[in-house]
Amino acid sequence: MGVVSVYMFPVPEGKSGQQVVESLQKSIELLGATKTGNFCVDCETFQTSIQNTQQRQVNILHSSDHPASCFAILDAGTCLVADSLFDGLMQKLKHYYQQRKGSKIESKGQRYEFGDFVFKVGSVSLASSFKGILLEIEYCPCIIAGDCWGLLKEMASSIVGNVAEQQPNVIKNKLEHVYTTADTMCQYLEHFNNYKKQTIPPTAVSTGR
Amino acid sequence: MANLPPVQIENIQKALNLTQKLRSNVTQLFQKLSDGFDDVENNDKTLLSEIQKSLGSVNKDFSDLETGSNSLTQVTGSGNSQLLCIDPVIDKTSTYSQILQSYKWTDKMREQAAYAHALIKENPFKRTHVPSGLFPKRIRRNQLAYSYPPNRLDELINLLQVQYIDTMNISVVRPLGSSAVVQVVLGKTLKALLVFRGIVIEWVKVKGFMEEFQNEDGKVDIWSSSRYEVFRKITNHVTAATLHYYLPEMPDLAIKSIMIWLQSYSTLFSAPCQKCGKFLQNGLPATWRCLRTKKAYHEQCKLMIQMK
Repeated sequence: MGVVSVYMFPVPEGKSGQQVVESLQKSIELLGATKTGNFCVDCETFQTSIQNTQQRQVNILHSSDHPASCFAILDAGTCLVADSLFDGLMQKLKHYYQQRKGSKIESKGQRYEFGDFVFKVGSVSLASSFKGILLEIEYCPCIIAGDCWGLLKEMASSIVGNVAEQQPNVIKNKLEHVYTTADTMCQYLEHFNNYKKQTIPPTAVSTGR
Repeated sequence: MANLPPVQIENIQKALNLTQKLRSNVTQLFQKLSDGFDDVENNDKTLLSEIQKSLGSVNKDFSDLETGSNSLTQVTGSGNSQLLCIDPVIDKTSTYSQILQSYKWTDKMREQAAYAHALIKENPFKRTHVPSGLFPKRIRRNQLAYSYPPNRLDELINLLQVQYIDTMNISVVRPLGSSAVVQVVLGKTLKALLVFRGIVIEWVKVKGFMEEFQNEDGKVDIWSSSRYEVFRKITNHVTAATLHYYLPEMPDLAIKSIMIWLQSYSTLFSAPCQKCGKFLQNGLPATWRCLRTKKAYHEQCKLMIQMK
């Protein structure tokens, strides 16, 4: 478990999501990385169902790298890391929190390893329609984001170019603290929310993932 | 021979003469006997009378020798060994002269050595200014580098703990008696395990900050390597550095200098290489720290600098 940076990789016009994913995978393989399986990060949104109160959201995220854990993030940013049994608890709270229909969004794809780095190329789909591409780069030996940001940026820029310049907000706020998986989930949630806000679907054809 | 009385010498002389006379007479008799039997018929009488005459003289000589030998007394004392000095064989070899010469040589050498000793005593020429009394002490310290008492290391570690309280967390455990295992936690970057023998570092392992040196039983595990490539590489570098800083004459200094050097790894992930200016090379950060300047370098860049 190290420091993770998640980048949104834009899909240029005239290219399908599948094509871009493949070219990304190819450039990672050219670097010398080896395939180590698949990964999946999914997110479900629950909303308060009680009338006359302020609407509140809780997002439940799962990651295939942490199969026994469940990450519950409030819209305020507070993150609760619990056992996967927490899903059952949410079902019990049906009267207070209700799942928003068609809100399940996930990022799925290949996982690669290169030295102490882990790359995950995921194509994001919201209710089975393609939304975009997320590239996750993890540097495992380090736990302080501020220390290895330069190093991560250098690695990211060799794959995604200028996109690597922008520092994720989560990392910006936690440069001197110990980085945790919860912070990774916050980054995913931020990107998922951005995709959901996109009213106009991307020009690229859905990959059907 | 010299200490015998004169009468005795005379008797011996006489006996010798008689023996000689007897031997010559017997020889003559045998000579005649062997020669004279060819013409036995002509000179039978003369021959027989001659033999009789010779035998008579032999008989007379023998009785003379017998009476003479009775008057001789037995020579007592060291016996024949005294006669060795008149053995002519010794005179023929050069042993005596050689012994005499070597005696002269040794005598001369002793004399000259005495002169030399006196001269050196007057003009001492020492190559070092260290008093000779210090040398045995230094040799003793060499041998003791491994066998310092455990409290000596504890004192040193306590000193280092206070000195580097802001950057490093140093702790000592002794899982197997006197050999100390020192764990150094450097900031939030890495953990290093140093195994000591006496006051000399014997074994080094470096792991990540989130990795543990304890195995499942809670015992100290000094063998397993880090799961990250970067720390396995640093383990090699630190091992190399322990050899570089190895100083059995002043083991305290060796440990202090390696601690100062180890401290430079606090910037492991944040310092770019001083040669190429980049953070990464083959997926690894600048893992080498110069032993003198403590600047960060990639392994390959370090080799290039050394080649220059």
